[in-house]
Amino acid sequence: MEIEEKKERTFLNVIIWTIPLLLMGIFVLMILYTPDFQNGAFKVKAVFVGSSDSEAKSLDGIEKSVLKSQRNINSTERKLDQLKPVKPYIVVNTTENRFSLRNANGDTIKTGTCSTGKNEILIAGSKRILFKTPKGMFEVRNKQEDRPWIKPDWAFIEDGLPIPSARSASRVEVGSLGDYALSIGDGYMIHGTLYQRFLGLPVTHGCVRIGDTDLELIYHTLSKGSKVFIY
Amino acid sequence: MKNKLAFWIITSVLSLFVIYALVSTVLMPVMTKNPLPKATQSAPEERAKTGKTNKANKANKAESNNSGDDDAIPDSLVSNSSKDARQKLFELRKKEALLHSRLTLANEDSMYLVLDFVSNTAILEMKGVRLHECHILDSDISNSIKMFHTDALLNWMAEPFTVRHVDATIPKISWVEKIAPKDSIEANKAMVEPAPTKLGDVYIVMDFNRNLRLVIAQNEKPDVEGKKLISAMRWKYSEIEIRKSIQSLTKFNREPAMPQISIVLPKSDATILYKALPVNLKLILRM
Repeated sequence: MEIEEKKERTFLNVIIWTIPLLLMGIFVLMILYTPDFQNGAFKVKAVFVGSSDSEAKSLDGIEKSVLKSQRNINSTERKLDQLKPVKPYIVVNTTENRFSLRNANGDTIKTGTCSTGKNEILIAGSKRILFKTPKGMFEVRNKQEDRPWIKPDWAFIEDGLPIPSARSASRVEVGSLGDYALSIGDGYMIHGTLYQRFLGLPVTHGCVRIGDTDLELIYHTLSKGSKVFIY
Repeated sequence: MKNKLAFWIITSVLSLFVIYALVSTVLMPVMTKNPLPKATQSAPEERAKTGKTNKANKANKAESNNSGDDDAIPDSLVSNSSKDARQKLFELRKKEALLHSRLTLANEDSMYLVLDFVSNTAILEMKGVRLHECHILDSDISNSIKMFHTDALLNWMAEPFTVRHVDATIPKISWVEKIAPKDSIEANKAMVEPAPTKLGDVYIVMDFNRNLRLVIAQNEKPDVEGKKLISAMRWKYSEIEIRKSIQSLTKFNREPAMPQISIVLPKSDATILYKALPVNLKLILRM
C-alpha cells in the first residue's frame, strides 16, 4: 500500500516538474526560432487587427485613377519596347555554354552549344592574364570571313614560346578562327573553332566559339550593330 | 512543503521569463515596428537618368493621390463595387510600379532580376530583354509581406531593391590559377583534356535594402559536402538571429522582423542566375 502511494507521489512529482521544464523549453525555442515566432505573430496580427486597406476613395475618384494608371502603363510599355533590340540578336549563357539566336521580336531562331572563357589566371612573372568572357551587352562591330588570327602575347606565353615582335609573321595563324568571325570589341569575337569536340565546355581565352553550321547562320543573321548579350 | 515552494518559485520565474521573451523578441517588434519601410526616393542622378517618362509618371501619381485625398470617405460607406474598383486600381498600380521599375533598370547598363510570383518565374533581364527565364518550383513569402497587401506594400516594392550583402555556397567565378610554362615541352606536358565542370550545391542568401531577405535554394538533394555547406550557412544566419534575440532581452528593443522570400529553383538555373547577376544586383518583385 505504502509502495503504491510512494509511486503515485513520484509520478505526480514528475508531472508537476515537467511544467517548469516545458516553460524552459518554450523560452529556449523562442530565442532559437524568433523569426518563425514573429512570422506566426504576423499571421495572428492579420486575423485580429486586419490589414489596412487601400486608401478610401469615391467610386468616381477611383475610376479616374484607374484610367490614369492604365494610361501610364501603356506609355511605360511603349518606352520599354523602344529599348529592346530592333535587329536580330544573340544571347550567350556562359555557365551552360549555350547560345540562343533570336529575331527582333525575341523569338528564338536557333539554340545550340558554344564555348566560352575558361576562367583561368595565367601567371607569368608579375603578370596575371585573365581568360574570361566578359558579361553584359555588346554589339557586332564588324564581320569578316576567313579572318586570320593575329596571336597576342599571351598565346606565346601559354605555349611556353618566346614572344615575337609585334609585326612578326609568326603571329598570323590562318584557319583557327573558322570561316566567320564577328568582332564585339576589346579583341573579343564570336568565331568558329578547330576543336568542335570541346563545344559546350568552357575552354576559350574569352571569345565565344561556335560550331561551323551554327556560326554560318549567326553570321548571316546578325549584322553590324546587332546586339550580343552575354550572361 | 519545501518542494512545493520551490516549484512555485521556479515556475513563476520561468513564466515571467517566457512572457518577457515573448514580448521583447516577438510581440513588440511585430506590433510596434513596420517591417516594410516605405520606398526611399531615388537619387537625383537616378531620376535624371530615367528621363521625362518617370517625371511624367510621378506627376501623374501625385495628381491621382491628391484627387484621392479630396474624395476620401469613411470606409464603412464604401460599397462592394467600390471595393472591387479599389482592388482593380491596386492591381493596376502594382503593374504600373513594376513597369516603372523595369523601365528604370532597362535604362541602366546592368542585368537585373525579376521575381514574378504571379506567373511563378524568375527572370534575368537586361535592357528589357529576357536573357534567362526559369520556373519557381516553390516559394514562401513571410506573413509580414502577405498581410500588408495594400498601398504600404506598393510603396515598399515600388522601386527596385538593391542588394546589400550576398552569401552563397558556390563561388561567383571559379578561377583556376596556372603558372606559365618555361618552354614548349613543359607546355605540352601541362596540357589537360577539358572536362565538364561539376555544379556545386546552391544555397544563396541575399539581403536587400528596405529590409528584404531573399533566399534561393536548389530543388535537388545536396550531396554530403553540399549538405555541410548549406547547414553551415543556415546556422550562420540562425546564430545572427539568436544573438539579436538575446540582445533584445537586455535592451528590450529588437529590430523589426525581416521579411523573407524563399524560392526553390532547379540547381542549374539557380547557378546560372547567381553567376550572371552583377555585384550591385537590383531586384524587382511582382506579387
